[in-house]
Amino acid sequence: MTEQVESLIRKDYSAGFHTSIESETLRPGLDEEVIRFISAKKDEPEWMLDWRLKAFRAWQEMEEPTWAHVHYPTPDFQALSYYSAPKSMANKPKSLDEVDPELLETYAKLGIPLHEQEALAGVAVDAVFDSVSVVTTYRAKLEEAGVIFCSISEAVKRFPDLVKKYLGSVVPQKDNFYAALNSAVFSDGSFVYIPKGVRCPMELSTYFRINEMNTGQFERTLIVADEGSYVSYLEGCTAPMRDENQLHAAVVELVALDDAQIKYSTVQNWYPGDKEGKGGIYNFVTKRGLCQRNARISWTQVETGSAVTWKYPSCILKGDNSVGEFYSVALTNNFQQADTGTKMIHLGKNTRSTIVAKGISAGRSQSAYRGLVRINAGATGARNYTQCDSLLIGDRCGAHTFPYIESKNPSAVIEHEATTSKVSDDQLFLCQQRGLDAEKAVSMIVNGFCREVFKELPMEFAVEAGKLLEVSLEGSVG
Amino acid sequence: MSDTVETSAVDFQQRALQLAGEQTSAAWLDALRYEGTEQWLAAAWPGRRTELWKYTPLNSLQRGDFRRWGAGQSCDLADDALLTLDAIRLVFVNGEFDAEASDCQAAEVVRFSQANTEQRQVIATHLGKIVDTKRHLFASLSNAWVNDGVLVHVPRNAALKKPVYLVHVSTPGAEAATVNQRTLIVLEDSATAEVIEHFISDEQAQNGFVNSLTEISIGANAALTHYRMNLEEEHLLHIGGVHVVLQRDARYHGFTLAEGSTLKRLDYQIYHRGQGAHADLNGVYLPRNNQLLDYHTNVEHEVPHCTTSEVFRGIIADSARAVFNGRIHIHPDAQKTLAELSNKNLLTSDKAEVDTKPELEIYADDVRCAHGATVAQLDQTAMFYLRSRGLSETQASTMLSFGFVNELLQELPREEVREHLHARLHTLFAKEHFSA
Repeated sequence: MTEQVESLIRKDYSAGFHTSIESETLRPGLDEEVIRFISAKKDEPEWMLDWRLKAFRAWQEMEEPTWAHVHYPTPDFQALSYYSAPKSMANKPKSLDEVDPELLETYAKLGIPLHEQEALAGVAVDAVFDSVSVVTTYRAKLEEAGVIFCSISEAVKRFPDLVKKYLGSVVPQKDNFYAALNSAVFSDGSFVYIPKGVRCPMELSTYFRINEMNTGQFERTLIVADEGSYVSYLEGCTAPMRDENQLHAAVVELVALDDAQIKYSTVQNWYPGDKEGKGGIYNFVTKRGLCQRNARISWTQVETGSAVTWKYPSCILKGDNSVGEFYSVALTNNFQQADTGTKMIHLGKNTRSTIVAKGISAGRSQSAYRGLVRINAGATGARNYTQCDSLLIGDRCGAHTFPYIESKNPSAVIEHEATTSKVSDDQLFLCQQRGLDAEKAVSMIVNGFCREVFKELPMEFAVEAGKLLEVSLEGSVG
Repeated sequence: MSDTVETSAVDFQQRALQLAGEQTSAAWLDALRYEGTEQWLAAAWPGRRTELWKYTPLNSLQRGDFRRWGAGQSCDLADDALLTLDAIRLVFVNGEFDAEASDCQAAEVVRFSQANTEQRQVIATHLGKIVDTKRHLFASLSNAWVNDGVLVHVPRNAALKKPVYLVHVSTPGAEAATVNQRTLIVLEDSATAEVIEHFISDEQAQNGFVNSLTEISIGANAALTHYRMNLEEEHLLHIGGVHVVLQRDARYHGFTLAEGSTLKRLDYQIYHRGQGAHADLNGVYLPRNNQLLDYHTNVEHEVPHCTTSEVFRGIIADSARAVFNGRIHIHPDAQKTLAELSNKNLLTSDKAEVDTKPELEIYADDVRCAHGATVAQLDQTAMFYLRSRGLSETQASTMLSFGFVNELLQELPREEVREHLHARLHTLFAKEHFSA
């Protein structure tokens, strides 16, 4: 089975091209001047600059975390450039017709619909290219419903009160090393506000693209769902293939007020490095949501890219009866390393959380689930169910589980289950004996393994995720 | 970390070194003591950010005034405190051997101080060599403090006819007493033995610190059944470790039961070094009042075709806190491993807390590993059922609590241990604060 399958599925990272476009890139290095420059470039008000500087000063005092089960050389933060934008964006285009055709070409190649009339199923997209938001589609239609969907730099200017109130309210500037770095230098990202009682008429989505060399991408996303509202948000990412490691340190904050619901889905497909483990993105992300009374936040993620992933989308279940969910598929191949999981902090009464994490390791990769379920003394009647399964393909990969469970309330019920196994020879044999070739068989078994998570994804994403898995698994069966 | 805590940690470390200097062991143990002292000096004091001590503050140890070694004295234990058992019995009071209470007529069991040349050779080969002091800080302290201890050495193809019963009693004293307890069990190929370690204390033993370390080497095809019961009074601090190395087709059947105390930390480290080895380890922990009880277990699967089964159950009452960390580490070549770990916790009070962390670290693909952990309270439907049958609330909760851990007790092959614990748990559960 080995060689035949290997050749069959040795496909390449299809998003790995580079767009040659004239860019304005800031000199490498990080000091206060750089932060002032970014802030000035974005025409930000004084309070925003102060906020950034406060974060920067805190960051200087902090040390890089080393507890994660990943190994990589510490990035040289002075060798990175903290701002890069396509030159053609200097005077922000008013409509899509004015956007540089090279840029549109890039997104077309990636299959991201920026032309509204061509877009399938009406998904509104905010496209972020290196450090700036290129375009946000369907704005008019969204504004009709009262939904605010724009880049965060625009929001700072147009809706300062909202941004001031919620920015950093879930992930404070000093939260952790990378969150502090992001707070100091974040360049762009999306801002969403859903007013009271509004059900957002379409799926919102952000598409992140790293293009320029030696840059880091630091985007910041803030989603506020006011009382009784609903929004479903998708996030996707790719980067060109390069030999050196690039840094991506994002912060995502979700605020779900009473009775609101936020569904956040990610398909992360940053360049994972080549078969020898050279290059690839360092993906160090802080994602956290705050649930007020009866609110619900659901994280769904499919992680197939990045050389090193360090990511724990979390829920703070502050309000009574609030619900947190986390569904994740993390696939690592070749030399990729992933340390990912979630935190569910139960503060309110009758709060519920569900965690379903599926890890698939192939090649020489290492994937770890790290989770925290904390039931505080006041969280009477809290309920958690955690299931994390790992599938191993090949005898040189690793799969690890580090669940932390802390319970201070006797009425809470917590269940945690974890299993690790490999794609069994019996299953493969059965499939092949029914006429499937080895590659199809593995892909079918893996898809079945991930089904529980895929069914949580919006339809278009589920299809993409399934395909992505097939591609990412290439060369791993043997 | 505030400065005061830091200072008191240094104080403790210094006092520990002074105690080490006062220890009068035989010269042939000097190398080990020297090594232990070096490691103790070099080791960083664990704080909240030390992963292995994250949930277990050592404040009570730092506050204690441990300046002198425990001294032997006659002890006045209740009649039912010990097992009635036909066994090779060694009794230690405050770390000192009590010849009167002991019954040690077997050539296989000897104290370090009485060991002949051949036995010294065995001790020199194994003592301090099984334990990995990096994962168990207090093992280096135990090395630095080593004085006397018990060696159980069973030769090739031999079987111990009677179980070995080691009793460690702590009694009250005017000042805080320190005890270093050391056991070494070496089973040569195809040998079998049964060892029962029993830690108890006088009701009034209010202050004291026991640092215990048991090292076990099980040869090819040998089998050991090992019980360890920590049933001391709640003000006695205890930090203990059991380290087991298994060779080809060796078997280790372990059982541990502990009641809590101000600070009680127990480490189990099991190393599978030969193919076909099997280890099962069952544990019960029952902290109550304001106690803290911490179990850390770590199983290293270094070679293929080994199996591990681990089940821990805990009932946490009052304002007590239980910590459980169960790690299973499968090394890259350890294919065909079967490993299972289950940890279930019952909280019976509003203020009780449990922090559990079952870890899997797997570097081989052809393995079947699973772990599970649950935290809950007594099943209200079951309570209702029992109440509707005329049982009082106390009776019902005793019955349910008992049922929760009984699964593990019932399987114990040694009847005397089973019955002793049965009786003890009955009294414990029936106490008022254990009702739901």
